[in-house]
Amino acid sequence: MADLKSQTPAQVLDVLGRVCPYPLVLTKKALEKLPSGGILKILCDAPASAEDSVPRFAEGKGYPIEVVKLAESWEIYIQKT
Amino acid sequence: MATKKLLFVVRALPYKTEASRLALTHAIASQSVEIYLKDGDLVEASIAFIGDGVMNCLKNQQAMKHYGITSIEGHMKNTLLLDMKVMICKEDLDKFGIKEDALLMDAEDIGGETNAQIVPFSEIQKEMESVDHLLFC
Repeated sequence: MADLKSQTPAQVLDVLGRVCPYPLVLTKKALEKLPSGGILKILCDAPASAEDSVPRFAEGKGYPIEVVKLAESWEIYIQKT
Repeated sequence: MATKKLLFVVRALPYKTEASRLALTHAIASQSVEIYLKDGDLVEASIAFIGDGVMNCLKNQQAMKHYGITSIEGHMKNTLLLDMKVMICKEDLDKFGIKEDALLMDAEDIGGETNAQIVPFSEIQKEMESVDHLLFC
């Protein structure tokens, strides 16, 4: 699997403070606009979104994803393919 | 691959009932269910405000001041932020004497790119006939 977090993201989406389903639906919207191959970095502190819905969505689309757990939030890297 | 179209028709006043708030939150939540559906299946939700429901679209609501609860405006803006189709019935606005400048028509302040639309009821009726599920609130 590609090391997504070491690459420069094309866009950073800050959904800190937003709860489910906003992190997912805003991620979907951001990915729609991202050029193919681009990496989206998502800053999220909603556990259900970071650990379930966003990874489930990316996997359903076949997009590579990396989820990095920080102290009280997550960094999620998704590459649009 | 199929798209299920939903239309939430909001007829309730914004406060002293949860109907319109629930319509908006369900419409927003519906945009995340595709992760649990079969490959490629989608859900597309629209919202129409008719009758007393057009009051939900007013700007500068003072819900916290009068009722001690958060305003419907945040939910309205979020629907526009998520590019949902939001229709407001022109005839009902005219009936109440509400002008467009009194309405929350966009969510530019939170990055929204879609505007609400003031449309004749005939257009809302067409939408009602075209969707798979119609939900009156």
